[in-house]
Amino acid sequence: MKQAHCIYQQDDHRWLAIARDATKPGYIIDTNEYVVLSGEEALLCDPGGIEIFPSVFSALSAECDPTRLAGIFASHQDPDIISSLALWLEFKPDLKCYISWLWQSFLPHFGGQESTFVPIPDSGMPIRLGALELQAIPAHYLHSSGNFHLYDPKAKILFSGDVGAALLPADASNLYVEDFSRHVRHAEAFHKRWMGSDRAKRDWCERVSRLEIDMMVPQHGAIYQGADVQRFINWFAALEVGVLKG
Amino acid sequence: MNAPERNLHLKAPASGELARIVRVNEEIKAIVSTAFRINLMALNAIFLAKRAGNAALGFGVLSNELRRFAQDLTRHMSSLRDMTSGSVGSVTGVVQHQRTSAILAQAIRLSGDGVPGVREARRRGAARLAEQQSRLRSLDLRLRSAVEETQQLVELGGVLARSAKIEAAYGGSFSPALMQVSTDFAEVIAQIKRSLEILGKERLIKD
Repeated sequence: MKQAHCIYQQDDHRWLAIARDATKPGYIIDTNEYVVLSGEEALLCDPGGIEIFPSVFSALSAECDPTRLAGIFASHQDPDIISSLALWLEFKPDLKCYISWLWQSFLPHFGGQESTFVPIPDSGMPIRLGALELQAIPAHYLHSSGNFHLYDPKAKILFSGDVGAALLPADASNLYVEDFSRHVRHAEAFHKRWMGSDRAKRDWCERVSRLEIDMMVPQHGAIYQGADVQRFINWFAALEVGVLKG
Repeated sequence: MNAPERNLHLKAPASGELARIVRVNEEIKAIVSTAFRINLMALNAIFLAKRAGNAALGFGVLSNELRRFAQDLTRHMSSLRDMTSGSVGSVTGVVQHQRTSAILAQAIRLSGDGVPGVREARRRGAARLAEQQSRLRSLDLRLRSAVEETQQLVELGGVLARSAKIEAAYGGSFSPALMQVSTDFAEVIAQIKRSLEILGKERLIKD
């Protein structure tokens, strides 16, 4: 059962996590979707695939008015990230989709037209949402060659896409990381295999270390908060990536 | 808040439309290849009539007509093929749209009708689907009328083949060979008629 959890609230500024779906079919990777709300506007981060659209839509609608959706932020181009695009556009045809410029001409295969896409330059860009100014933070090659994370400096939340992802056992339902050392065991093989560039990894670790982050919210697995955020960055910095085994 | 989860096990409601286009295309391809055969047969018949001389003058004229018929038939079939390849885009649009609408409808069922924006989304979707279906219907009508025109042309081909059979009887020593050729003409034209009948029954979209 997909549920929307409020993970941050300050007046009309909220973050919702639509996370951890223990009842989804086993052949589909579990994904987390996040909604940032500010004033009358909402931004959906990595809305997920076609198969889970009904449950994401339903969970989102239970917590906020879906007509407030102004945009979609897609960390990269994978089907579990954004293949539901056409369905969201069916509901709201004027939605804007923020995506790396690299994928601008690929994503229309999932849906949308030229006016749908807002290409993010390699260096990143600010994204306005209500009273907020969010930041698209470069995370290229982690794992996609055109990859961005989304930082909310007010809430101090970093949406980190596949970085920090953990493939947890089906019965794990905790929203937040409870025991970092045990948790990263489920993240290790994923990061070694999927994160292809050691240099990109080091750049990212340096970049995000300069940000104030209270919560790091990945697209798969549990949310890192407090000291676990820096623990993760240190762990990731030391991890050998781009390897098949070992 | 809880949102009930259900797996998507949606049928592909319009997958039959794509299968129908494939069947239509296959019939068209069969007729085109038969028309090519008639063209070659007519060419051979023209040479045979020349060899038979005065006794097969009438047969020679009919063979020329049959060759022209084969060329006209090829042109007809090529315009039919253009029509069906254009319809693949429309059918794909309908298939995609029906799938999208079904998933959206499931999302709305899970969320409840009270969710803002869902009524408008449904209305927009229904309007777009109706527009695509109407485009497909008009294409279907044009295809049917083109098939009817081709059937009339093939009727003429049948008359030519029957006349060739009569003329073959006057072919003297060449008569058995000319008779064989005219029987072959009649057989392939009957084959085309059967294919056109199948084509005439196919619909790009269900009524």
